[in-house]
Amino acid sequence: MSFARYETIVASLAAVAALYGCAGNGNGLDSNGNPVTPGGGDGALTADFQSIQDHVFTPICTKCHQGASAPFGLQLDATHSYALLVGVASAEQPSVLRVEAGDPDSSYIVRKLEGAAGISGQQMPLGGPYLPQATIDVIRQWIMNGAQKGATAQSIESAVKSVQRFAVDTTSPDDGSIVSTTVPQIVVAFNGDIDPNLINNTTISLESGPDQPVLFSTAVPTGNPAALLIKPQVQLGNGTYRLTLHGPLANVNAQALGADVSFTFTVDALQ
Amino acid sequence: MITRALRYLLAPLMLLAAFGANAEPYLAVQTGFKCGQCHVNPTGGGERTVFGNIFAQTQLAAHHIDTGSDLWTGEISKYLSVGGDLRVQAQVTKQPGSSSTDDFDVEQGRIYASANVIPGRLYVYVDEQVAPTSINREAYGVYWSKDHDWYVKAGQMYLPFGFRLQDQSALVQQITGINMTTPDQGVEFGVERGHWDAQLAISNGTASGPEVDHGKQYSGQLSYVESFWRIGLAANINNAAAGNKTAGGLFGGLRTGPIAWLGQVDITDDKSLPAQSGRQLATLLEANWRIAQGHNLKLTHEYLDPNRSVANDAETRYSIVYELTPIQYVQIRSGFRYSDGIPQNPLQHLKIGFVELHGFF
Repeated sequence: MSFARYETIVASLAAVAALYGCAGNGNGLDSNGNPVTPGGGDGALTADFQSIQDHVFTPICTKCHQGASAPFGLQLDATHSYALLVGVASAEQPSVLRVEAGDPDSSYIVRKLEGAAGISGQQMPLGGPYLPQATIDVIRQWIMNGAQKGATAQSIESAVKSVQRFAVDTTSPDDGSIVSTTVPQIVVAFNGDIDPNLINNTTISLESGPDQPVLFSTAVPTGNPAALLIKPQVQLGNGTYRLTLHGPLANVNAQALGADVSFTFTVDALQ
Repeated sequence: MITRALRYLLAPLMLLAAFGANAEPYLAVQTGFKCGQCHVNPTGGGERTVFGNIFAQTQLAAHHIDTGSDLWTGEISKYLSVGGDLRVQAQVTKQPGSSSTDDFDVEQGRIYASANVIPGRLYVYVDEQVAPTSINREAYGVYWSKDHDWYVKAGQMYLPFGFRLQDQSALVQQITGINMTTPDQGVEFGVERGHWDAQLAISNGTASGPEVDHGKQYSGQLSYVESFWRIGLAANINNAAAGNKTAGGLFGGLRTGPIAWLGQVDITDDKSLPAQSGRQLATLLEANWRIAQGHNLKLTHEYLDPNRSVANDAETRYSIVYELTPIQYVQIRSGFRYSDGIPQNPLQHLKIGFVELHGFF
C-alpha cells in the first residue's frame, strides 16, 4: 500500500472518530447533565446556596471532595457541604474560614477558586479548568449576602423543623470512618439551629476509650448556627474515638435530642 | 486585563501563527523514541536529558543561534543537572451569556534538579513549581539496574497512565484524575526491555494529599514502541473507604509522513459517586503536522461522556494550536479551543483563545 493511501485511510478513520464523538443534545437533562426528575427544577446559576451546590459543588467539586477520602475532610456533596464550609476553619490555613459570611475576600474558598496569592496547595478545581470569574463572582455574591442556605431551602427547613425532632444530620469524620491524618476538629451538623446555651461538657463528651475523656472546646460557626465545631485540646493520636451528644442538647425551639447520639471514628496514622 | 486594542491584535495572531516545542508525546511518536530518551523521568515530563536538551536545540528550533562550542546540556557537573520551564500566556475566554474575560497568566514556572549521586545508577530528582504558587510536584529517588532494564522509584511522583500530555486539562486526564498536577506519594517499579516498557506504581491515592484511609492506589501501564508506531494499555485502581475508583486506558501513536497521530481512550468507574455517575468515558484524537522544522500544527478532538448511564450528555472539545520554535529554548504557542456540550450548560460552550510564551531549558 502506498504511503499516501495509508495516510488517507488514517485521516478518514480520524474524521469518522471525530464525527462519532459529537456533543449531546441535552434532551431530558438539567444543566448538570443529570436526567430531569419529576418535580425537579433547574435554571441558571444564582447567588443562593442551592444553586451553587447544584451548578458548582455537585457537578464539579464532588469529583474529588466526596466521601471519607475527600481532601482535607472537605466533603462538598449536598449532604455535607454547607456544614463544612460556612464558618468552618480551613484545614490548610486554620486561621482562615472556608466561608466567612459577609466577607468573600477573606473566605478561603474564594481565594482557592481564584488562585489568589498566599493559598496553600493549588488552585481549585485541581488541575483546572478553573471556574470562570463570572461563576466565582456568584459565589462571592452569595457570601457577601451572608452565606445563607437560601430562602427556599430555609422556608422548607423551617417548616420541616416545626414538625421534626431535633436530630443530627451529618458528621465529619463520618461515623465508622478511619482517618490517617490529624483531626483538628469534628463537625456535627444538625437539622436545626442548636441552642448554644446548652453546649457544655455535660451535653457533649469525647472519649478515646471507656472512661478516657478527651478535653475539647466547642464553637458554633458564625453564620452556620446548625453546626457545631468540637476542637480537641490535644492532637488526637492513634485510636478509636467516640463522640456522644447527650439527650438534653436541644435546638433553639427547645426541642431536645431526647436520647444520646454517639458516633465513632478511628485515627490510624500510618507512619 | 488587556486592552480592547490588544485583544484585536491578539485575535489574528491566534489565527495565524505561533510556535511550539516541548517534550510532548507527539515528539516521541515523530521520532520513535521512548519518553526516557529525552527526559530524566523514564515515564516522561520534567527535566530533559543531555540528549533531550541537544535535540531541543538542534531539531526543534526553526533557527539555531550559533553559540559555538558552548551548548547547554543541563549538566552543571557530573553529579548535578538542572532544567526548567516557564509558560506565560494571554487568554481570552468567551462564555455564552457573559461578557468575555481576558487575562495574562503565569501559567507555571518550574525548576528541575537531579543529583546524580551514582551517575547512571542512582539519582535524586526534584520538580518544584515556583510560579504562580510554590509547590513541590515531584521529589523522588531512582535506582537503575546495571543494564538499565529496570528501575525502582520512591517518593512523590506523577503516576503512569497513558500519554503524559502537556495539556493538563485534557479530558482523558480529567476523568482519571491522573496528570501532572496530581502527583502521588508511593513507589514505582519499571521495566524497559527492547520495545517493551512497563511500570507499576503503588501510592496513597490522595494526589499527594495526606493519607486518609488504608486503601492504596495501583497504577500500571504496558507499552510497545516501534519506530513509527506504539500502543499501550493502562490501568488504575484507587481503593478508598468511600468507594473504589477504577480506570482503564488504551493509547497509541502513529507517524504517517509529517503527521504524528495520538489516540487515547479512557474509561472510569468511580464507586464513591452515587447512582453510577462515576462511569465515564473520554477520548483524545490528536494530529501533529510538522510543517517544517520549528513549526507544528496541532489539531485535537476530545470527547467526554460524563455519565455512561445517561444519554445526550456528551461534551466535545476541538482545539487548533500552532506552535513555533523560532530559536532554541523559546516556543510560542497560539491556539483556539471550542467546547460543545449540552445547551443547558454555558460552561460547556466556552470559546478560548490564547497565546503562550514557553521558555525551556
